[in-house]
Amino acid sequence: MRKHMLLIALFTLVIASVADARIMAKGRGAKMNFDPDSIPAQYKAQFDLMTRKCVKCHTMERTVIAIQTGRAPITGQPFERQAVKAYGIKMLRKPDSNMNKQEIRDVVMLLNFLLGENAK
Amino acid sequence: MKKRLIRSISIAVIGGLALSLLHVGKASAIPAFTRAYKVECSTCHTIYPELNEYGEAFLKNSYVYFGKGKKAVREKEAAAPAEIAKPAAAATDVKGEGDADKLSKLKAGAMGASGATASEPAAEATSPANGAAGGGEAKSEGLLLAAIPELLPISFTASVQGAYDHSQPNEFDLSSRVLKLNAGGNFREKASFFATYVAYSENTSNITNTTSTTPANNSTNIKELYVIWRRAFDTPINFRVGRMEPKLSLWKSSNKLSVTNSFAPYSYTVGVSEFTIQQPQDALEANAILGNRFFVAGGVVNRKFQNAKEGYGHISCKFGGADYLANEPEVDLAKEESIFDFLTITVGAYGYYGKNGTPNTTPGITPIQNTYYRSGVDMDILYKLFRLRLAGVLGDDDSSNLTASLSNVAPVKVKSYVAAVEGEFTFLQNLIGAIRFEYQDDGRGLVRRYIPTLAYGPLENVKVVLEYKHEVATSYASTPTSVAQDFTNRIGTLDVTFSF
Repeated sequence: MRKHMLLIALFTLVIASVADARIMAKGRGAKMNFDPDSIPAQYKAQFDLMTRKCVKCHTMERTVIAIQTGRAPITGQPFERQAVKAYGIKMLRKPDSNMNKQEIRDVVMLLNFLLGENAK
Repeated sequence: MKKRLIRSISIAVIGGLALSLLHVGKASAIPAFTRAYKVECSTCHTIYPELNEYGEAFLKNSYVYFGKGKKAVREKEAAAPAEIAKPAAAATDVKGEGDADKLSKLKAGAMGASGATASEPAAEATSPANGAAGGGEAKSEGLLLAAIPELLPISFTASVQGAYDHSQPNEFDLSSRVLKLNAGGNFREKASFFATYVAYSENTSNITNTTSTTPANNSTNIKELYVIWRRAFDTPINFRVGRMEPKLSLWKSSNKLSVTNSFAPYSYTVGVSEFTIQQPQDALEANAILGNRFFVAGGVVNRKFQNAKEGYGHISCKFGGADYLANEPEVDLAKEESIFDFLTITVGAYGYYGKNGTPNTTPGITPIQNTYYRSGVDMDILYKLFRLRLAGVLGDDDSSNLTASLSNVAPVKVKSYVAAVEGEFTFLQNLIGAIRFEYQDDGRGLVRRYIPTLAYGPLENVKVVLEYKHEVATSYASTPTSVAQDFTNRIGTLDVTFSF
């Protein structure tokens, strides 16, 4: 029984160390974005959606900096889960943002995941 | 034949200009607030200078950026999870009593960090957006202590217009040019200021005997110049004093797509009285945001040579949408879309009471006075790409002709009813169309106006507006002494406005 517990503990540690790998960013300036290769498969669709829709009004650099620093680069305000939801609602309501609620929900979930990864 | 040719050429020139502007790429705008806060014009405007709800919040927050102010910063930082606000190795806590926010900024300034607070991550201080961090509040200790904005908060707005009026001998005319200076900002969030100075507006009266004369400057004038004491005595009340548009209607006079056509309820006059709701007045006003969604204002106007104060009041309430402090509404993203996710309704009411006429301060002379009031209701409905504005005002003037008591002419009492409804549709972020209907019964007759407007922003600081006014007057006496008659005006205008 103890052996089993030890194995489970070791396996958990190995998994945890793998999960510690942070999402990488690549490119500079307006071309900066999260490295698509570092985005897990279950978030690929949301990542593609974000990359396609959000660049209508701003570069992905703004998003990358907000995730990496925990601060919205323009306003300097905290960029955490609560703020991510507020930004999502703002974009949902923004005329001509061309995003529906489902798409906003997907992008908010992705940003929350990225925040969580960055905090590790 | 010649006229037709000129008209065709004019239309071709206007069309060509409009088409060429359609192909200009994106760029950022740079007027005073954009410079100060390092944000795009579209943060606060739909197409400049029409405000979106965040612009309204910025205006009501006395030109302090959303979420700024010590209280707001404390609330935001308290809400931020500890794991997100990772302290930088180089950053140290600010010790000491007093104004922690100011100490933090001073320390950041002394260390050369760009407005970063002590708890900000190091990555932010070295990021490409370094200069923009903190809403553009990066400044040295000296500037901070002096409460002087780091950048000179002045911008310019210029308008160039061409108009087509079928009733004029010169049907098409490059009709007017205006150059205005705008200044605005805040001093350490404790006081704010705003000024509009008309540096040039066209005056054609100097054109007398030669058509080679270019129009002179009409006059220079301070349209607005006021200072605001924000959150007086740590209460929600702001005191505004100086020359200003009294807070009456929901929208400031510039807050519209159209450049040349003011909303009739705010710009109509009665008899010989020059009073309009949107005219700048020398006033003292107290206003406050209450419960995040109510805005109240009240003030006293003190006019030269008029030893009787005038008074006004305003109340408005916003349902749905971001509140007056720019906080987003609570929307459950897990639920299906609902009409209430997108619907915003703002309702406002106001009243103004005053007296005008000849000065009542000249000893021994009985003044000729007109006592008047205006009361109005406004509504602003926003749903996705649609916006509807409704405005109505009821006026009463007890001596609109300012009749002298000795002249045996009875004073003309006038009750005026003026209303406007404007529907707006956002085709693209930088292409908005609107159509307005106005009804004006101001005691001189009846006027109906139909005003379609198409506004396009090829750049965020450049606006091209094509508008048309179809004005139908019935038994209307344009001046108190003229004969009432029916007439129709058809005026088209192409305007290019740019700010820098």
